[in-house]
Amino acid sequence: MDFSELSHQQEIRESLNKIFSEKCSPEKLKNFDNEFKHDENLYEFLATNGYLGLGINEKLSGSGEDLYDLGILFECLGFHAAPLCLTGCLVDVAQTLQKFSKNDNHQSIVSSITKGEIYTSAILEPLNHDPENPTTTAVFDDDKIIISGTKYLSEISSLAKGILISASSNKGVILALVKTDNVKLTQLTSTANSPLFKVELKNVSIEESDVVHEEGRGLEALKYLLQINMVMRSYIALGVTNKMTSLIASYTSEREQFGRVIGTFQAVSHRAADCFIELECLRLVNQQASTNLNTNLDCENDALVSKIWAGNACHKISYSAQHLHGGAGVDRDYVLWRYCLLAKECELINGSASQNIERLGLNITANQ
Amino acid sequence: MLIQLNSQQAKLKDELREYFKGLITPELKTELNNPEHFEGGGPEFKKAMLTMGADGWIGLSWKKEFGGKELSPIEQYIFVETVMRTGFPFPFLTTESVGPMIAEYGSDWAKEEIATKILQGKLIFGIGYSEPNSGTDLASLQTKAIKEKDGYLINGQKMWTSLANFSDYIWLAARTDFEAKNHKGISMFIVPTNDPGFSLTAINTLGDVRTNATFYENIKVPDSHLVGEINQGWSLITSQLNLERLALVNHGPVEELYKNVLELAQNTKIGNDQSLTDLSWVKQNFAQIHSGIEALKLICWKQTWIMESDQLNMAEASVAKVYGSEFFIEAYRLLMEIMGELSILKNDSELKILNARLERMYRTASILTFGGGTNEVQRDIIAMAGLFMPRSR
Repeated sequence: MDFSELSHQQEIRESLNKIFSEKCSPEKLKNFDNEFKHDENLYEFLATNGYLGLGINEKLSGSGEDLYDLGILFECLGFHAAPLCLTGCLVDVAQTLQKFSKNDNHQSIVSSITKGEIYTSAILEPLNHDPENPTTTAVFDDDKIIISGTKYLSEISSLAKGILISASSNKGVILALVKTDNVKLTQLTSTANSPLFKVELKNVSIEESDVVHEEGRGLEALKYLLQINMVMRSYIALGVTNKMTSLIASYTSEREQFGRVIGTFQAVSHRAADCFIELECLRLVNQQASTNLNTNLDCENDALVSKIWAGNACHKISYSAQHLHGGAGVDRDYVLWRYCLLAKECELINGSASQNIERLGLNITANQ
Repeated sequence: MLIQLNSQQAKLKDELREYFKGLITPELKTELNNPEHFEGGGPEFKKAMLTMGADGWIGLSWKKEFGGKELSPIEQYIFVETVMRTGFPFPFLTTESVGPMIAEYGSDWAKEEIATKILQGKLIFGIGYSEPNSGTDLASLQTKAIKEKDGYLINGQKMWTSLANFSDYIWLAARTDFEAKNHKGISMFIVPTNDPGFSLTAINTLGDVRTNATFYENIKVPDSHLVGEINQGWSLITSQLNLERLALVNHGPVEELYKNVLELAQNTKIGNDQSLTDLSWVKQNFAQIHSGIEALKLICWKQTWIMESDQLNMAEASVAKVYGSEFFIEAYRLLMEIMGELSILKNDSELKILNARLERMYRTASILTFGGGTNEVQRDIIAMAGLFMPRSR
């Protein structure tokens, strides 16, 4: 058992914090508050310096398959509210292709992602609470596959070369790459101003070689994708809630009322302490889920537990932070508000706490 | 980073599980069902302690000079976890918190006579901290130890001295400097309960757990019974409490209870070919407990892992204490909801379930939120040591 970060992991964390502190200062973040929230320069910088290869095999130009390395990246993105949405590309596409595809083209896509090429995924569907059963359909027609359906919450799709889609077919669930040009994209506007898209597929024709897994392993690949997505979103949540808790600590240690700093009131310090406890639990369940996924492609209960803690921590810590800051917390000239919006996004996308509690309960009582 | 037991540790767990099947005899079970022996102290209990000591289990992580095996604190945790899962009232405060303090800071006599015998399962300690007027504000304690030739003369009264009715010694905090500021004038002593100046009265509690008020009248102990330096007892108390806090919230017993209730609920038919676990709210209760236990297990594992290399961090020990104690209360509630009214039937009743463990556990749960340092003080510590906030007042 070892809870420590390896020296290269400490270095990644330190360098990323340094990079983001400079490149995601409140002044710079303001530029994206009302614009398309994707910092091209920052993305290129990360690509040039090897950070888009975290969690990816060396043979594919990455720096090794340890998912905890990737977790550090997402935690740091969350902590600095970086204007980048990378779960679709670095998690859903890169990790799933790396783990499940035997196709050389797909392997070179993973390699191109480490160098800054953008791909994304479109997995979730409006009002479908069971992403393992997509309503999007795939029909095998000779050597072609015809896909139709509507997806949403697909990240930075307008910049992506290809989109990884889940669909139900008579051969079971499949995951396949479609060209962005062949789908209809509509940008949605959402709470944290993340560049999220609706993706409509009308009889989109693809080759069998666009399927990213061996025959019969589609559901396994999709389950893996959903699990690792949950865990990496929980790492964003960890960064976001960690930042909010440190803002609570510093603000209440300075703000004076009744002639003393408000952090000396037990009611205040205890609410802050509760945030610290919540944060500590979230960190640990994330670490367990990501390290277990390193050696086992199916860790559903661990992933659910991390997303449940993430959902609850995002909610509780966000409102504690707003409350303990008073008016300053909701003032858009202060930094907290961006984190509160990100917290809600992390909480809800790919399974809320209540939804995942139900799923976990199902697994446990079914003797899994 | 690797967050799982290694194969030897997993094997150790299996080995211990088998071991305890043999150790927990029907006679011992009968004895432990007697309210008088809920916390141990009976002849079968003492026999089991000696066996565990002789078989080398109690001091897995202890140094060889005391008879230990010098394995890591993880193995030690696995042992305590597994013994507590059986329901055996293992005196973990003696073995996991007082014992290590004596092994490190005790006199030559204490190391040889006391630490070694704790590992052999021969000695049990009660903890003498609280007094009638010193609870959460422990540093205000008034029990006195006056230096005399060759020793100390002890006078005073302690409260909530659990296990004192069958303990061999009390780990006692007493004031030795009356001029110094509160926490700077305290020293730690090993006080024998067979001294004629020692007496006690029982305090019976809501959870049927017996505790005691203990009285110390002109008890003379030799210098060798002082642990650590004179007037330096406070740091021993806080170190001991950090160890105690971790031991108190071991995840073994609550996970065992959860598994037992899960198995029972899966096999409980509620008509229409349905089991209790087919109900959606029952599934949700189990999931809430499961995700809570996972966090508790990881908190404990991390603390234990830290002990290998370092001293326990104050903020994290307090996180364990607050989270664990408040989670237990919630978990018992959710488990009792699942089994419904059957959960309130007592052990001598028809229709009782799981030996009425739920009925008893919920009555004992509140002790941990205030015992071992009340959770308000723990939250103060977390805010200061974890978040670097100013001291609250």
